Amino acid sequence: MSNMNRRKFLKTTGGAAAVAGATLAAPSIANAGSHGGKHGKVVVVGGGVAGATTARYLKIGNPEIDVTIVEPNASYHTCFMSNEVLGGERTLSQIEQNYDGLTKMGIKVIKDSVTGIDAAKKTVMTKGGTKLSYDHCVVAPGIDFKVDEFASVGDFDKITHAWKAGPQTAIMRKQLEAMPDGGTVCIVPPTNPFRCPPGPYERTSLIAGYLKHHKPKSKVVVIDRKDKFSKMGLFTQAWKDLYGYGTDKSLIEWRSAADTGGLDGISAADMTVETLSGGKEKFDVINYIPPQKAGMIAFTAGLTNDKGWCDVDKTTFESKVHKGIHVLGDASVATKMPKSGYAANSQGKVCAAAIVNMLAGKPVGTPSYVNTCYSIAGQDYGFSVAAVYRYNAEGDIIAGVKGAGGLTPTDASAEMRRREVEFAYSWYNNICKDTWG
Amino acid sequence: MRKSMTYALAAGALFGLIGVSSAQASDAEASMLANTCNGCHGPDGVSQGPAAPTIAGMNKFYLVESMKAYKAGTNRPSTIMQRIAKGYTDAEIDKIAGFFASKEFGRVAMQKTDNAAAEKGKALVKDLCESCHEKDGYAAEDYPVLAGQMLPYLRNNLTDFKSGMRSIDANPNMSDKEKRKKKRTLSELAEKHGDAGVEAVLQFYASRK
Repeated sequence: MSNMNRRKFLKTTGGAAAVAGATLAAPSIANAGSHGGKHGKVVVVGGGVAGATTARYLKIGNPEIDVTIVEPNASYHTCFMSNEVLGGERTLSQIEQNYDGLTKMGIKVIKDSVTGIDAAKKTVMTKGGTKLSYDHCVVAPGIDFKVDEFASVGDFDKITHAWKAGPQTAIMRKQLEAMPDGGTVCIVPPTNPFRCPPGPYERTSLIAGYLKHHKPKSKVVVIDRKDKFSKMGLFTQAWKDLYGYGTDKSLIEWRSAADTGGLDGISAADMTVETLSGGKEKFDVINYIPPQKAGMIAFTAGLTNDKGWCDVDKTTFESKVHKGIHVLGDASVATKMPKSGYAANSQGKVCAAAIVNMLAGKPVGTPSYVNTCYSIAGQDYGFSVAAVYRYNAEGDIIAGVKGAGGLTPTDASAEMRRREVEFAYSWYNNICKDTWG
Repeated sequence: MRKSMTYALAAGALFGLIGVSSAQASDAEASMLANTCNGCHGPDGVSQGPAAPTIAGMNKFYLVESMKAYKAGTNRPSTIMQRIAKGYTDAEIDKIAGFFASKEFGRVAMQKTDNAAAEKGKALVKDLCESCHEKDGYAAEDYPVLAGQMLPYLRNNLTDFKSGMRSIDANPNMSDKEKRKKKRTLSELAEKHGDAGVEAVLQFYASRK
């Protein structure tokens, strides 16, 4: 196209673009649904990223579909950017999303908990005693914690998980604020797989950033249950650039499972963490992020596998156990997508398009998926990982397109790292708008 | 402007064919591909800010050109778009571009702008930018919309034009005459009017409602 004149080209071809644009707006024709009038009825369990995105895109795909979300909380605190609340860059209300945008689209949002799903009768039961019939049910409960020998649910008031944002985030922030200068924070990241793989290390970074400016004699010790972690090279480089990592004045100390021999005990009463080779150590703030499994309703509804996650058809997110029930987001096995907010949002669109087509008696169509995940390591210091995926039928995986995606290069300029932070903030605003309206 | 009618017609015919093939595919496919962009660029490509650009309502050709430049990784610097663009075939890029070109450029982000600088920018824009970015930068017909675009994004791009990281010379879709004109305008802005002049132009476009 060398030397081609852009203006001339556009004048010549403007008509074709207009025609293509018009076909995009053509309405789809829906078939009868058996439970909710002629366009079908969908009940969505959970108003997090996966559930809300699916609900919104069902309405965008066909406004006539009857969509109901059942969600126990009046609002949702996003896990993404909750590390900025811990670091003091953001308030808790700045990561709070409400359901007004979805309600305005004609989506019913019921504040209640789902207690059971009858896949044969296609009915959802709630704690409040409501029975909702459906043509398709979308189960998006996110994660629950495996209660293990190291922490029971009762301990989370003192030893936080802060891995579901909200009150837990507020408790941990208060603990960090109350800690004296010279205190030590311990973060125990979980075993794989878990929600937001780079999250514990972004948390480590932003807490170190807070300590650097407010409590410079303090330190964050990461007692990991793994030997490597997501974006490890980029985080390690950031810690060296910003927090003296590797020197005796480092604000961060990271210990691998190999270093410590593994976790041996955590005591909320004594505020200690014990490892096999390191013995007992006392900390001022302990953040124990437990190993994870699918949210409870996935177990109640019989949707989980022996590892505690939900196997699904990766082109529709329909459960491999129960027809008519779709599971997506963190609760699903969506190999090779990570358990991230962007993945949940992307899966919501694939699931919604599939349901719209199924209700209309059409083929489900070819899915397309993206994940983009930003981490902020400090002021003007961000990086990202991205992937564009297609479904690979032979391997039954959501496979990254070869040659695309990947990490921010380690030799990225300071200016590019600064821009990554700008784009991380943009991503936050845009994905929230795209998810909750 | 260099007359390249024959070439334009040939390309137009090709473009028409692509238009036909994407029209034959289900609309869900274009929307399926394009909707994956919304997580960063906003619903229907309308950004809530502060930095990720609105891509809705841009002309399709510009969107295709941008994606192909990112994909080639040569004349368009980026943080993440070079990694993302490589994930799509040219036919998919065409569909995505068509989708966002058919949407309306929304101005919803609450951008803080400097009124005095924007006022100063008004005269500079009329003098330097208007002949390409027509109608105070609202026009989408030939060049990218600038009116109401995100301020940090505009600033980053002028920085990159100045440093040469975003290379006008390497743009395969501009005539030599266009290249000369653009480079002359940008250097006149920088040399005659300095950083304050550049900022005034940025503030003018970002403050358009």
